[in-house]
Amino acid sequence: MNRQTAFGRKIVYLVVLVAMLVPLFLLGQPSGGEGDPGGRLTEMRREFNIAESDLGEISPASETAKLASLGLRGVAATLLWNKAHEYKVRHEWDRLKAALNNIALLQPHFDKVWEHQAWNLAYNVSSEFDDYRQRYEMVREGTEFLQRGVNQNRNAPRLVWYTGWFYGQKIGVADEKTQFRRLFADDEALHERLLEERIAVDSPEARGPLGKPDNWLVGRLWLNRGYDLVDSGVKIRRQTPLNFYETGAKWRIRHAEAIEREGVLDERAQNAWQLAREDWIGFGNRSIPTTAPFTIKLDQLDELSRQVDERMEEFRELTGDAYEVERERLLESLSEEEREILERADEGEQLTDDESYQLQGIRRRIQPAPDSVARQADPDVRLRAIRLAGEIRDLAARASKTDAYREQINYSYWRTLTEAEQEERTVRARRLVYEAEKANAEAEIDKAIGLYEEAFEIWAEIFEDFPILVIDDTGEDLYESIQRYRVAIDSEELPEDFPLRGFVKMMNDEGRIRSDAHQAILNSPDGRIDPDSLPDEEPDYDSPAGGPEGGSDGAKLEVPDFRESNGGG
Amino acid sequence: MTLQPEDFWSYYEWLMRPNAFMESAFLQGVVLFVLVIVLGLMIGYIISAVRYGPGEGFYAVARAVRDLVRTDLPGTRVRRVWALARLAFKEAIRRRVLFVIGLFVVGLMLAGWYLNPQSDDPARLYISFVLTATNYLILALALFISTFSIPADIKSRTIYTIVTKPVRPTEIVLGRMLGFVGVGTMMLVPMGLASYLFVTRGLRHTHVEVVEVEEVGDGRLQGETDYTRSHRHSFTVEADGRGYTDVVRGHRHLVTRGDDGDFEIGPPVGALRARIPEYGEIQFLDRSGEPKEEGIDVGNEQLREGYGSAGLSRLVGVAEGPRRLTHGYVEGGTLAAAIYTFDQVTPQRYPDGIPVDISIRAYRAHKGDIESGLRGSITLKHPDRDVESNPIVFEVNEYDIDERTLPPEIEGTDGDETRVLSLFDDLVTEDGRLQLVIRCVDRGQYLGMTKSGVYLKPGENSFGWNLTKAYGSIWLQMTMVIAFGVMFSTFLSGPVAMVATAVCVLLGFSAERVYDTRYHIDAGIDMGGGPIESIVRILRQDAMTTQLDVDTIASRVIKTADAGIVYALDAVATALPNLPKMVGTAEYAASGFDVFGALLARHATATLGYCLLAFLVSYFFLKSREIAA
Repeated sequence: MNRQTAFGRKIVYLVVLVAMLVPLFLLGQPSGGEGDPGGRLTEMRREFNIAESDLGEISPASETAKLASLGLRGVAATLLWNKAHEYKVRHEWDRLKAALNNIALLQPHFDKVWEHQAWNLAYNVSSEFDDYRQRYEMVREGTEFLQRGVNQNRNAPRLVWYTGWFYGQKIGVADEKTQFRRLFADDEALHERLLEERIAVDSPEARGPLGKPDNWLVGRLWLNRGYDLVDSGVKIRRQTPLNFYETGAKWRIRHAEAIEREGVLDERAQNAWQLAREDWIGFGNRSIPTTAPFTIKLDQLDELSRQVDERMEEFRELTGDAYEVERERLLESLSEEEREILERADEGEQLTDDESYQLQGIRRRIQPAPDSVARQADPDVRLRAIRLAGEIRDLAARASKTDAYREQINYSYWRTLTEAEQEERTVRARRLVYEAEKANAEAEIDKAIGLYEEAFEIWAEIFEDFPILVIDDTGEDLYESIQRYRVAIDSEELPEDFPLRGFVKMMNDEGRIRSDAHQAILNSPDGRIDPDSLPDEEPDYDSPAGGPEGGSDGAKLEVPDFRESNGGG
Repeated sequence: MTLQPEDFWSYYEWLMRPNAFMESAFLQGVVLFVLVIVLGLMIGYIISAVRYGPGEGFYAVARAVRDLVRTDLPGTRVRRVWALARLAFKEAIRRRVLFVIGLFVVGLMLAGWYLNPQSDDPARLYISFVLTATNYLILALALFISTFSIPADIKSRTIYTIVTKPVRPTEIVLGRMLGFVGVGTMMLVPMGLASYLFVTRGLRHTHVEVVEVEEVGDGRLQGETDYTRSHRHSFTVEADGRGYTDVVRGHRHLVTRGDDGDFEIGPPVGALRARIPEYGEIQFLDRSGEPKEEGIDVGNEQLREGYGSAGLSRLVGVAEGPRRLTHGYVEGGTLAAAIYTFDQVTPQRYPDGIPVDISIRAYRAHKGDIESGLRGSITLKHPDRDVESNPIVFEVNEYDIDERTLPPEIEGTDGDETRVLSLFDDLVTEDGRLQLVIRCVDRGQYLGMTKSGVYLKPGENSFGWNLTKAYGSIWLQMTMVIAFGVMFSTFLSGPVAMVATAVCVLLGFSAERVYDTRYHIDAGIDMGGGPIESIVRILRQDAMTTQLDVDTIASRVIKTADAGIVYALDAVATALPNLPKMVGTAEYAASGFDVFGALLARHATATLGYCLLAFLVSYFFLKSREIAA
């Protein structure tokens, strides 16, 4: 009896075991190839691109580590993260790196690990060292850590992008950028490893004016690799496409800026800017996915506006009276007060800020929507009008999306910059300033003054043609030179005929562009403003009265008021 | 390696803690012994009373104590202990424990996969890897072999054949302990040898060729080696054809130039060391030159550790907070300084000048000159008289040990007079004291120092001997775990005894966490609370440092229960051996420091104490089983 129950129990266990094997099989079944997708886990592995695509990629060290953790991989990784942090607090850098190495072995397909810890090494740990060479070493190790991540995750464009970002931004923007860039250019061991990674550091694409690899250009090659990857059909994850694509073109600009800062101010710089311009325009003509269901090209805004205008013209012709009738109807729907603002604006009267804001809304409201006009149109043309209205709506949506995306990254500013900088005269102006600074530093005052004045003449011309450059670093650097020029001529007051008088007026005491001037330039259609129209003093936006940069604490308090006024308007 | 206050204690200071007797190891040991005896007698009496009634129970306990003192202890014979130890040894071998050595060797063979080849200090990585691997393997092994033996004997009733022989329980316990220690020792020796080979061979490399050699005048040549194992050296060869490379990754090579003009690069030198440090007392001066307890804190994140060194005074609530030495910083361009006072500075100890090792940290408050590192200065000073040398300026080599030798003669001032000072005659006192004053030269920047950052180096030991000492520490830990294992196995079944021993080991390892939790409960700081509060917080997804967001009564119940649990854990953890400290011995060997004799002596004393305790407890439990049988 007893034996029988024991036997029965064993049979039950066996049945349960077998029953549990069925879902396990269904979940874990590997792909049989030829259209057999395999089990759910196989499918998910493929979906998230975490399957080792060929045997060469399987790292025995990684697999052993995973096995040795006996299914407690998550726990082991968590403990290691804790350890890594502890080592960081103790400034045990070597052990920190060893711990990171082991985390990466345990979780080679968790791309955030690579990203986070590479950043940790290159940005947080490197800054703990006093010797800039050690700092560079840490930056390099962080970047190479990331590179290992790229190799383990062939389908993670963001990791590739990030590597390119590190090579450019970390080496080229840090406080120690001069030293870092020099060390990078001479780091032959790294160059060799990069060649092994199939990054052509020996090609003209990667070499700077001195014939050595330049960090910005090498970064750009990495970014290009990411773009190729995405072009081959891999999806961009955890990043906006705009941001993803912008960087590559930007790195060429950064490169040109960097070599100019280092004193390369001849046709090589000009050439670098020309290439930068090509890249930027190339970026502008790349199809960029948006949050809307269509893609856009940043450089096509004018073309889109032209098309909208063209269609609109056609539409108005087609619909004839219906358009005017609709506009009249909308005008009548305005309140007394609103109509008065509109009239005053049409007569060219000065409006208050609040009224100007209202005016924009009013103008929008009296613009007849093509859809509603089309519905009112003559039945003979109604169908065509409706179709045309649809086209206009679609084009307008594209144009407005393009415009918004351009705004996000200040597209037109960079375009203008590359255009201005590739000119021979800009490079010459920069060289003159550079030489003037050098002469000034060597106490050759007269020579410096002469060079300064010559440079300022050219800069005045450049600003005349490209007023938007005033708001850039260019402006700030130039203003510093003007300050030194003031010291050189030993006079607080600038001469009456000083070519950059207007520019100087736009700058504040801190050597930055005045916020009101900045705003005015951005608002002006061609970027030109009359500096004399600015008040003598920069409006104080830090005061509690608030303003465009009214400080975050003030803004918080004003939230209810803002809502009310918004509702009223 | 930043040493903590307790690391500097001499053996006597550790044992007796002059001026702070509550923290002394002696007191802790005595209290533990008394507690165990009192508790043991009480529990023994209760068990006996249940078995035989109150009166008879008392006699049973008394008999057991009498037996121990009158017959069993004096009657213990080495011959029989030896015989039993051999049995235990054979039994363990028969259970194929030698397999662990194989496991260790396999581990070493695979280690290359996990050791970072780009490490800045491969020696440290290798040594600490072999030592920790050995440590954990041996502890696990000790756990297994010691806990299953007696329960298996009892279960198979072979124990009766032993106890009916003229063998005393003391001998059974001692025999087991010694036998297992013998097995462990037998395994430690080959593991130690394998580790030594692994480290020395793993670090051995040569650079085959030189590149870019150029003459720098006087027949001296400067050049670079090739790029091997992620590094290259630069070197200078003197006119006599010999020279050294610079130190990269903790080692350098001898470069010789043959007559045919070929360069030969020798094996790495200086990677494996055992420096014998002579530490001094440190005194900080603030920016106006006033003495200060500590230097400036530049706001580095800190770990909360070092509760354990407070001994019993922490348990009874006298000591406050964690005790951890961190770097104290001095401001540059002011009167701020750190003054190290060294003892026993005599020409006999330092016949070839005084070697001083400096490892200090730099902190920039502003960017300063990026190309050059922060600079500090060393001034040698007579502790009592107004005699001091001119400052020796040096550039800080952060996270590295800057090895210098103090010159035997140096320019300086004696009162108002400027002259050449003799190190031993003018700057060292008659009783052999010397002061080193370290300042930061760059204005507005900071240099960080701790007591262990600057030391004199009267000599070095061989690396092999140092590794042996580190293995000695592992041996002590193993002995301790075996003693605990045997103790638990006298009254628990095998698996349970193993779990109990493992819990003791783990609790010993996480004692600092328990102390930390208790400290925060005592101080009323919200830091996650005890176990129940932590679970509540996890379930509610609350942060650690917020106030516990439950109603008042629930909160009080949770906190009271938690306090009970944490206090009990605290008491148990305090009673257990401080294993992390012992594992930390590896750190000395890895960082290239001679393992202090005092440290080993302390560990040995603690081990002996715990073994004795375990022996006594084991004896009584075995005795009670015998009585039961």
